[in-house]
Amino acid sequence: MQLTSTARAGTACAKASSRAAAVREGKGAIVLAALALPGVWAGPAHAEGAPEKGSIAFKYLYYQDSQPGLKRITVNSPSVFVLAPIGKDWAVEGSLVVDTLSGATPRWQSAISSASMMREERNAGDVKVTRYFDRSSYSLGVSHSKEHDYVSTAVSVNGSWSSADNNTTLNVGVGASRDKINPTNGGIAGIANEKKNSNDLIVGLTQAVSSTDLLQVNATYSQGKGYYNDPYKTLDERPRARKQAALLARWNHYLEDDKSTLRGSYRLYRDSYGIRAHTFQGEWAKPLNEQLTLTPLLRYYSQSAARFYTDAQYDATGFPVFPNPAPGELNSGDQRLSAFGAVTVGLKADYKLTPDWSVDGKFEHYEQRSDWRLGGQGSTGLDPFRATFVQFGANYKF
Amino acid sequence: MKSNLLLLVCMAALGGCSTFKPPQPWEKGNLAKPDMSMGGDPLDERFVQHIYSSKENASGGYGVGGGGCGCN
Repeated sequence: MQLTSTARAGTACAKASSRAAAVREGKGAIVLAALALPGVWAGPAHAEGAPEKGSIAFKYLYYQDSQPGLKRITVNSPSVFVLAPIGKDWAVEGSLVVDTLSGATPRWQSAISSASMMREERNAGDVKVTRYFDRSSYSLGVSHSKEHDYVSTAVSVNGSWSSADNNTTLNVGVGASRDKINPTNGGIAGIANEKKNSNDLIVGLTQAVSSTDLLQVNATYSQGKGYYNDPYKTLDERPRARKQAALLARWNHYLEDDKSTLRGSYRLYRDSYGIRAHTFQGEWAKPLNEQLTLTPLLRYYSQSAARFYTDAQYDATGFPVFPNPAPGELNSGDQRLSAFGAVTVGLKADYKLTPDWSVDGKFEHYEQRSDWRLGGQGSTGLDPFRATFVQFGANYKF
Repeated sequence: MKSNLLLLVCMAALGGCSTFKPPQPWEKGNLAKPDMSMGGDPLDERFVQHIYSSKENASGGYGVGGGGCGCN
């Protein structure tokens, strides 16, 4: 791939800009779809029977991201979650969320000059039904997410089996998702009626290691085919197939002295784009009294770049120099495919009003930087990316 | 990749063995506490995981049928 001068790239940019103006309204949909709810989550941590009590939870979620000199995306999401036991052997759970997203996002790397405004709404929901037996459970889940240019439907089946002493639980699940992509006016890419289909597998083992320790190891594998480009980004051409594998290890430890809980996790990730990633997270749930629990958390993430990611280049005036890939040649300037490291610092507070009612609030600050990559050597020429996540919630048990 | 996985599994196994003492039924009270659950707060988990899967490349490890998110 050759890098051209700004002047030569000008034609491509002008075309991209005129198209981008036309698709401004729908631009955020893909970003928003990215916040889509998962269909189904891994099974219970260790051998558990059907829930004795139901619960209903409301949350208001706020998200804001930025880079130096540009306030980017704001998301406001009210959501609700319900878990209801049915008889003594069944349970149904589900959630609904409405995301409203607005702001600006760059079409090329972190170049502010390429950013455009957008506004988008997404509605999503999921339902899971579980049947419990003495030492096993089986569940079926469906989820659906809809925006005007991105519709996703997923189904999943999970089975969970425990040993006779209930100290070891095996969880196996399969899932499939079918996505339809119809960018407004074709997006910058000029496409319509694209699809993306993927199938997932999870195998997980949870072990009660001692009376105060739980250990879980999950392996997941996903294989997909279809449209993986971002139709609203300039010169974005990714493979039409993707394989992803992750290995997650989690350890929860209870401290009897002060009744607090330490939770640690590590995830190793690798995919067919050539990206390798490591995620470390630690939390400490510390009850201060009968009502209030504070949970500080720290997370570190690091990834390598996709093999078709193009590093940012600038001319003498600071204007981005665009690459000139051949038709069909893989290329992306998406910051999410670059090499970087990221840190999250957060604090959650849970307050029990009555035995059945509780409220919670959580604040997290997130920052991505190229030179925070594990061992250094991140992608060059990108601005730091910062985000703030805030949540307020209320829970009722019935 | 394979050697990394193998190393991780071995380390986890060795680390676990040194304190491997599965609890008796009457010793499980602390494991059943909500703070010890791997599932955590469902809405919180979903919200945060999907911010990460939209702003970072990696995803997976937690479950299947993941909403087919357009994490492009």
